[in-house]
Amino acid sequence: MNPIFKPSLHSQRHDFVVDFVRKNNPKKVVDLGCAECSLLQKLRFHRHVELLVGVDINGAKLSKKKHGLAPILTDYLQPPLHQLCVQLFQGSVTQKDARFRGFDLVTSIELIEHLPLDDLYQFSEVVFGYMAPQTVIITTPNSEFNRLFPGMSGFRHCDHKFEWTRVEFQSWSRNVCLEFGYNAEFTGVGQAPQGHEESIGFCTQIGVFHRLPVNRDGHMLADNAEDHFPYTLLYSVTYPSLRDHNILRKTLVSELLYWAEKMKNDWLESLTGKQEEERPVEEDKREAGVYGEICWTNSQELQCHTLHRHVSVPLHLLWNYCPKLQELSGSLGNLSQLIMDDPQIKMNRPRSALIFCILEQDLRDEVPNDLMDSGYAESSHVEEEHWETD
Amino acid sequence: MASREQMPTRARSRSRGRARGQDPVAPGTLAREPAPEVAVKEEGGLVGRGRQKQSLAPFSGKAVMEISAGFQQVKIGERGGRRGDFHDVGINTRQTMEHVKASKSGTSGAALQLSANFFRIVSRPQWVLYQYHVDFNPPMESRRLRSALLFQHVQVLGSAHCFDGAILFMPQRLHDKATELQSKTKNGEDVRITVILTNELPPTSPVCLQFYNIIFRRILRILGMQQIGRNYYNAKDPLNIPQHRLTIWPGYTSAILQFESSIMLCTDVSHKVLRSETVLNFMENLRQKCGPHNFSDICAKELVGLIILTKYNNKTYRIDDIAWDQTPSNTFKRGEADVSFTDYYKNQYGLEIADRNQVLLVSHVKRVAQGQTPAGPALLIPELCYLTGLTDKMRADYTIMKDLSMHTKLAPEQRVGRLLRFSAAINKDTEAQAELQKWGLQFDKELLNLTGRVLPPERIFQQSRSYGYNPRTAEWAKEMRGLPVIYSPPLQNWLLLYTRRNSREAQSLLETLYKVAAPLGISLQKAQVIEYEDQQESLLRALQHNVRTETQMVVVVLTSNRKDKYDGVKKYLCVACPTPSQCVVARTISRPQALMTIATKIVLQMACKIGGELWSVEIPLKQLMIVGIDCYHDTAAGKRSIGALVASLNQNMSRWYSKVKLQTRGQEIMDGLKMAFAGALKDYYKFNKCFPSRIVVYRDGVGDGQLHNVVNYEVAQIMDSVKSMGEEYMPKLSMVVVKKRINCRLFEHSSGKVLNPPPGTVVDTGVTRPEWYDFYIVSQAVNFGSVSPTHYNVVYDTSGLKPDHMQRLTYKLCHMYYNWQGIIAVPAPCQYAHKLAFLVGQSLHREPNMELDDLLFYL
Repeated sequence: MNPIFKPSLHSQRHDFVVDFVRKNNPKKVVDLGCAECSLLQKLRFHRHVELLVGVDINGAKLSKKKHGLAPILTDYLQPPLHQLCVQLFQGSVTQKDARFRGFDLVTSIELIEHLPLDDLYQFSEVVFGYMAPQTVIITTPNSEFNRLFPGMSGFRHCDHKFEWTRVEFQSWSRNVCLEFGYNAEFTGVGQAPQGHEESIGFCTQIGVFHRLPVNRDGHMLADNAEDHFPYTLLYSVTYPSLRDHNILRKTLVSELLYWAEKMKNDWLESLTGKQEEERPVEEDKREAGVYGEICWTNSQELQCHTLHRHVSVPLHLLWNYCPKLQELSGSLGNLSQLIMDDPQIKMNRPRSALIFCILEQDLRDEVPNDLMDSGYAESSHVEEEHWETD
Repeated sequence: MASREQMPTRARSRSRGRARGQDPVAPGTLAREPAPEVAVKEEGGLVGRGRQKQSLAPFSGKAVMEISAGFQQVKIGERGGRRGDFHDVGINTRQTMEHVKASKSGTSGAALQLSANFFRIVSRPQWVLYQYHVDFNPPMESRRLRSALLFQHVQVLGSAHCFDGAILFMPQRLHDKATELQSKTKNGEDVRITVILTNELPPTSPVCLQFYNIIFRRILRILGMQQIGRNYYNAKDPLNIPQHRLTIWPGYTSAILQFESSIMLCTDVSHKVLRSETVLNFMENLRQKCGPHNFSDICAKELVGLIILTKYNNKTYRIDDIAWDQTPSNTFKRGEADVSFTDYYKNQYGLEIADRNQVLLVSHVKRVAQGQTPAGPALLIPELCYLTGLTDKMRADYTIMKDLSMHTKLAPEQRVGRLLRFSAAINKDTEAQAELQKWGLQFDKELLNLTGRVLPPERIFQQSRSYGYNPRTAEWAKEMRGLPVIYSPPLQNWLLLYTRRNSREAQSLLETLYKVAAPLGISLQKAQVIEYEDQQESLLRALQHNVRTETQMVVVVLTSNRKDKYDGVKKYLCVACPTPSQCVVARTISRPQALMTIATKIVLQMACKIGGELWSVEIPLKQLMIVGIDCYHDTAAGKRSIGALVASLNQNMSRWYSKVKLQTRGQEIMDGLKMAFAGALKDYYKFNKCFPSRIVVYRDGVGDGQLHNVVNYEVAQIMDSVKSMGEEYMPKLSMVVVKKRINCRLFEHSSGKVLNPPPGTVVDTGVTRPEWYDFYIVSQAVNFGSVSPTHYNVVYDTSGLKPDHMQRLTYKLCHMYYNWQGIIAVPAPCQYAHKLAFLVGQSLHREPNMELDDLLFYL
């Protein structure tokens, strides 16, 4: 194809959508005719999108591509705050599915030219009349540009049912706007060569449709009669996020234990200069400095050996020491609430401090094994053997 | 453990068992899983390799060509597929050994019912995989387009297919041998596609096996698992170890191969360790700890070779270097324009880079898609990357490893539970089942049952006395108490070095040593005690001043287990001034209640380091020389490899000759060890006034996919070495490849419980490979977790020894490691060779002095 665009026209169209998303922060986005899911691939990185849906009539293709939309692994390591759910549906854009109402943005990239004219009318009814999102972005080839492709006749793709001039696209758009209460702006990607910008226009023409703030009760009521779900859900994945209560709790517990462990170890380190016998055991004994309130405690059950000792690290100390904890939990009360009942965390009775059991380190060395004599010594006997074969 | 030199379990270097010349990567998977390899060999497919020797080729040359070609295509066609041959398929050694052609089973011992982590593949009878060649007219350049055009005909071809652009695999036969199809491109161009049947592959063909593996990886993906390195992991169900900022992802290793009884899936639980902080956090912490002085050196040492995951895709990269002169503000060419990293990540992925001054990581992306030129090194932003696996430092950290093992060590019962749950998950998932059914495949739901044998316990001999041991615990520390060892040279002239701080500990150690030595029959004269300042130079000076030629032994009490002092002592006493030495960390001897045990271990260690002989077992073969070979890959010092060889010098297997060869990257281990082998034979002659009539070589440290090299190259090198002793000298030779890091697990089922099989368990059926003379032995006992059997593969054998005797000899040798009063997981020579290579690789970095060749100085 000539002229060749750089970056490719394909990615310029996607970049246009991505740009739009970045500026307008829609929360719920659906891409009609998502095919290879490459637009979804890009959109999933934009933190404001919370629901990202792809629809295509070719279910097999979606099944093949769906794994590419799985969450980024590292999000499981440090879950982000924003949440995202990605879904893929197999279905036809000429059918109404109740799950698709209330979106902020619907994109239809190089889709309409594949629809026979009858279907096209259904499409506009479904998208503008039924789904009625805040914004619709439609891209389609500009047939005026075709004469810049040398030796080209007919359409750009053999499956295209039509290719429109700018006037044709804009007049179709105006009708749609009038009927469903939208207004449209027109632009495009793929600049014509210098001097032809006006006479030919962009290679791909783009219409951005905004819903007018009129009362649409009439429409809504008419369609509310019965909900249909003709699309098949093929894939649905929720990305890990701190909004998920369990994930938040796990992250918080990990963070808490990390810092508590660190403070405890620093404190123990600072103690080592002192004589062992003088270690304070009473809970009210105070040390100076940051670790002032960390202390040995014997309030815990001492059912194990005497070599188990317990250190208490006050929660409020951790709260003050670690900004991430504040960020995650919002308030000390929240923090205390969230970590309640976590099996990894041991707290004192008033739930004001974390308790750690210190196993005196030297115990880890092997203890002489007391073997049980079980008569094995007699069990084996020596027998002259000859392995040599010659 | 008693001293840093008494580790009974093997602190294996992470780079062990890696293909020579390949870069070590991604340590960190804890289940005995071989480290994954990123470096992928672009060779002509696996069947071609290891077949270079005509005598070994099971297929005709033409068949090999065909299968290889098709195979290569399959591999290219599937993304994320491994292209190296990790399972040493196609190396057919058994057929060269007459005496095991009919049977390779042993006979000794009592039968024991076992199960193993294998699931049989059940396919319908007469299952075949059909291979087609696909032609496009006019020819189509783009692989994607070819694929799109072909699959316009799904109704003809069916939904089960695998196509790489030229070769198509399907589970069904098309009606005609050649099928013509018509497709249209999007420009309306007509394309004629011809699909011609070229091959019918039986389930056991190598292509089919590789195919099963591809299908199985699809299944794992369907189950929502993610590939990291060679295995698949489940990120959704992580285990956190907050105190070390570590996360563990549970997962599975899997390999589908032709085993002795049938085609099976061998799968084991595997754990991936990841850091739950970014590389930038890691670097900042490191800088805080070690200061800015030699930060760049330390940082590079820690990071290079590690595998990272990024925040914006699910790919892994290996850190090859650090670009100290690059920051995220630097730009790179994207299309026509220059884009800064900061802008790029913000626009593409919505990721804000907070730290503008961080340096970048460099990764040489090796894998390149077909027909593309290598993109050059990738620059990565530390803030957007996470480390996978463990660093060497973490591996050496006792606390980290202990906390990890709490999560990753699974008792046999737990392990079996997890495996069965995995099998149930595959069988329950409808999508996974649909995929399998498409191909006409099914997995067995239960673990494979098989029968093993438990070899009788050995008797341990010390002088005229002999004793047995508890067969479940497999150790005899208690039995040995008060029994004199076979022989110990009297220790008359020896030194004890300590710092003032540890003088009390040193004194009590000394007293205890005198006390325990006598009953063991070790004559210990008074030591010369020397105090040293706790500094590297002063310790070295103390050694230089006091160690004389007549000094038999130097014992050094170290204040901490800091590596540099230990290295300093060893370097001086193993290279410059050859004297056996024994280091012990003060803390180890600080607890009075354990001092007796520890002193006993130390005195035994001292005795064998100066040529003492502790115990023996009965070995009914005369004029036998056992050889152990292992290697160590020194990543720090310019990727050198270290090959170590030890060889027995007497009937008791108590004296050993040893030699180490350091070699540069790319050099064969055996090239250096050939000389060492000849040296061993000469030394044997010196001790015995004859050459050995039998030689058994235990070769450890063979990486996955390197077996062909041992078979084709090393055996010949050893023969050369033997021949150099004289034309008429023709000893019987056996070469056994020893593998400890394998995925096979065995379980004993006893009265409703799942247990570890007892020491002495041998398996030589079912899970062995039909083309090899191989067997498994569980020789060691473990206190926690599941025991791992060791795999022995006899690749060359002119000994005529019955398989039973080969197995028993191997088991006997596992009793002979003098640093552990019990049975170990590998034959003693392997462990000796490992210790030696490790000492040289970690501490000496050069060949030890040859005066020490006949001593176990490396224990």
